Amino acid sequence: MSDAGPDAAEEGPPSGRFRAGFVASLALVPSVFVYGTVFGGLAVQAGLRPGQVWGMSLLVLAGASQFVAVPMLAAGAPAVAIVLTTYVINMRHYLMAASLAPAFRGFPRAWLALVAHWINDESFAIAVAHRNPPDPWFYLGSAGAIGVAFLSGVPVGTQLGGLVAEPARWGLDFAFPAVFLALIAVQLHRWTDWLVALAGGGLAIAVALVLPGNWHIVIAGVVVSGVAALVLEPESP
Amino acid sequence: MRTDVWLVIAGMAVATYLTRAPLLLALARRPLPPRLRLWLRLIPLAVLPALALPLILVDHGRLMASPAHPPLWGAVVVFVLAAWRVNLFATIALAVATVALLRGLG
Repeated sequence: MSDAGPDAAEEGPPSGRFRAGFVASLALVPSVFVYGTVFGGLAVQAGLRPGQVWGMSLLVLAGASQFVAVPMLAAGAPAVAIVLTTYVINMRHYLMAASLAPAFRGFPRAWLALVAHWINDESFAIAVAHRNPPDPWFYLGSAGAIGVAFLSGVPVGTQLGGLVAEPARWGLDFAFPAVFLALIAVQLHRWTDWLVALAGGGLAIAVALVLPGNWHIVIAGVVVSGVAALVLEPESP
Repeated sequence: MRTDVWLVIAGMAVATYLTRAPLLLALARRPLPPRLRLWLRLIPLAVLPALALPLILVDHGRLMASPAHPPLWGAVVVFVLAAWRVNLFATIALAVATVALLRGLG
């Protein structure tokens, strides 16, 4: 068994693969927790009640859109505008959901409906860097770690205020691009992988310079992966 | 505070769920043709840099590519350590420390 390599773990029992995904995500837990506290602190300062802040965090569970929604709520923006903004910011989930789907073949539909709620950038990055298409149990372990970190940070923040006044001063904001970058690096095997990654990043930068919000992620993700899938040859299985 | 907060939260929850559930449910059901599988495999390769690079290089619609921009050096640290296969926790910790240090000096 000792020379079986990483594949051995992927064939193991679900509990072991879940644990592996959980452990692989611990590097991000401090940053996600701190951002949970910052969100909780900001949201109560903006006038939301703690119960509303927890409810939003549990039901929406998408940090970036929540950070945008709170000042809009406080400023009296129309409900429809806030909901639409949330939708646009979170449209990148369509890409992640599509990419994760093959991993969950054979899972009952009720499970999938529940798993969908736990799709997040960080777990997606960690799971596809580990294996692509990902291991479903590994993904769930990661989503558990990230979800618990965020959802435990939020109530700490609503009760005590954000634990760190300026996370950027401590470089904590950089944990997110850092983990995405580190996880891309391990996926670049062929020259075509490099090409797709550089085109994705380059187009995203170009779009981010002209369009506000999160459009750059969706546009670069769809255009670059779509063109590449049309041009490149599917490998024979 | 306004009275429709819970209504807005419910709307946000539904809107967000509609970005997550439909494709996960639709594409997990049956075997997929090879070119579709290729597309799904390529999505992360395009999406992860699309998430990461603008966070590092774009700030409020402006390109930040000067050597005085700490995240640029954080990105260099990440790439070097990742190429050496240093574990993720140490990589992130060192990159975060580098950015914090440069911001403290700057």
